[in-house]
Amino acid sequence: MGLLAPTRRELILLAAGAASILVFSAVSPYFGTVDNAAAILRNSVELLLIGLGITLLLAMGSIDVSVGVAMGLVAIVVGKCLEGGLDPALAALAGPLAGAALGLLTGAVVILGSIPAIVGTLGLFGIYRTAIFAALGGQWLSGLPTGLTELLSARVMGIPVTFHVIAAVYLAVWVALRHTPYGPHLLAIGNSAEKAKLSGIRVSAVQFATFVVSGALAGLAATFYVATYRNVEMTTGGSLALDAIAAVVLGGTSVLGGTCSLLGTVLGVLVLRILQNGLLLSGVPSLWQTVVTGGLLVGVLAIEAIAARRPRLLAAGAGR
Amino acid sequence: MSRSSAQGSAVVLTGLVLLWIVVVGGLAILNPSAISTATVASILQFSTILALVSLGQMLVILAGGAGIDLSVGGIVSLSAVLGMLGLKAGIPAPMLPAVCLAAGLLLGLFNGLLIARLHILPLIATLGTLFAYSGLALALTGGAAQSGVPAWLLPWGRGALLGIPLPVLTIVVPVFLAAGIVLSATAWGRWIYAMGCNERSARLVGIPVDRTRMILYGLSGLLAGAGGLVSLAWLGSGRPNIGQNLELESLTAAMLGGVAIFGGRGRVGGVLAAVLLLVTLRTALLQLNVNTLWQVGIVGALLVLVLLSDRLTERGDDLWRRLRASLPNGWRRGPIELSRR
Repeated sequence: MGLLAPTRRELILLAAGAASILVFSAVSPYFGTVDNAAAILRNSVELLLIGLGITLLLAMGSIDVSVGVAMGLVAIVVGKCLEGGLDPALAALAGPLAGAALGLLTGAVVILGSIPAIVGTLGLFGIYRTAIFAALGGQWLSGLPTGLTELLSARVMGIPVTFHVIAAVYLAVWVALRHTPYGPHLLAIGNSAEKAKLSGIRVSAVQFATFVVSGALAGLAATFYVATYRNVEMTTGGSLALDAIAAVVLGGTSVLGGTCSLLGTVLGVLVLRILQNGLLLSGVPSLWQTVVTGGLLVGVLAIEAIAARRPRLLAAGAGR
Repeated sequence: MSRSSAQGSAVVLTGLVLLWIVVVGGLAILNPSAISTATVASILQFSTILALVSLGQMLVILAGGAGIDLSVGGIVSLSAVLGMLGLKAGIPAPMLPAVCLAAGLLLGLFNGLLIARLHILPLIATLGTLFAYSGLALALTGGAAQSGVPAWLLPWGRGALLGIPLPVLTIVVPVFLAAGIVLSATAWGRWIYAMGCNERSARLVGIPVDRTRMILYGLSGLLAGAGGLVSLAWLGSGRPNIGQNLELESLTAAMLGGVAIFGGRGRVGGVLAAVLLLVTLRTALLQLNVNTLWQVGIVGALLVLVLLSDRLTERGDDLWRRLRASLPNGWRRGPIELSRR
């Protein structure tokens, strides 16, 4: 199965995205503007970076629900660096580095303790949240220096640096999956860690690497977060991991491991953000956003499961 | 598993009691005035919802198949909110408890439908419904607490008999007793353990695995609905965020109480003891003026430590078995020697 060839799910998401853009453009005059498109893309950055990490973890048959609050924790590190007068370029690097360190810690708990990832990272979720609280001491980090913001919104060849960075990250992950042994090893572990081990794959090493990469991506997301909002509050990143898991699963990566779709993750993130933005502009209160996320996740999976039970229903359209 | 189930649960209970003594002892030293019958009553009162939800969580985990119910908190919130909205929509007040319970049951059965009929992984299915249920509770109310709980419900929610809160006496105790009896003394209860130990064999011997699992998710929802009802009677209003963090707490209670995450092992007594320990810890921190946000971290740390120690004792058992096997014949004791003869 090709990692980049569009699957049925990716085509469905593409169609869903196009349809919702048409509908929302008709409903709200504010939706179909260049500014709003930029805002949607801007809002997708953190979710996309964390989503790419989650994609790798799910493909490996693992999961990390603590990665969102890990981003919040790293955002404090980046914020403190900026406050301390560190050079913005160095502060930008501090994000991925601190994120990788947290990823190493998460990986150590899950892999060395051989704890099921879902419960282990749920425990770490609580620990990281308290760490955020302890680090902030009950106060927001706000009014941070603008150096980092200027650095990342500067334009190279007419396109913001942010976009270049995201494209580079996507390409790097794609190359790693497609053109290095890492990709097949990751998917083999996702299919069966036992068999992967028997066939000579260094399972723990690959698992550690994936947790570190996912952490580093969350750290990079923290850099972008700080650059955009220039403040860090107690709830920063609180629901991001669950949103990312929803987006990744929507994109067609199975939680069972052994498959993954990077393009699907990008599309899943965009569809989710387009829907949330469009509903908001159509006058639906923001409280409905979680309902939409959950409904979309349950709806897509249920439809797919029903279709799988009655193969003839969709056989004509599916072509397999 | 080298230890028998009964021995295992005795170890768990002893550990929990020791931890509990440490917590109570620490509180007694740091703030002696906090040790009172009022504190005991408030611990029990605060335990009610967590105990109900943790029992449901335990049941779905016990039955295996990667069972987990992340939506319990969402169901608590949504069933409380639906009860109050139903009241406003003109449903007669005496029907309120029935509405809450029915809402919980239906929401739980919907989880069961996704998991047992459509075979969506429980983790993802209940993640989706956690979003949907807790989101709906907030969206339907605009985030505002719904007042107007009928006055006749409050004495039940806030009253006590011999220092024990009425919801504990009338719901928690009967429900845990019933669950304990069903799990240990009925065929249906043995089915649940059998499913958790080996689902394939359970299917082969004719246990209706899918139907049983569906019912268990329904029960988890029903218990969460009862939690929502208790929150109404206790707080006097329907709060759309009352169920927040219950998924983390109930999972911790189940793990701490000796339920194996892969199913097939666990006792209700352990879960109840774990709930009491968690709530005692929370109350102690409250009495010591520690900010509530520290609790989330402490609960998380407890969860990780329990799982780590579980692995370590298993490794310890392994080591002990190997050590014993390497001893000269006359030194060997226990099953190894018996099986040789």
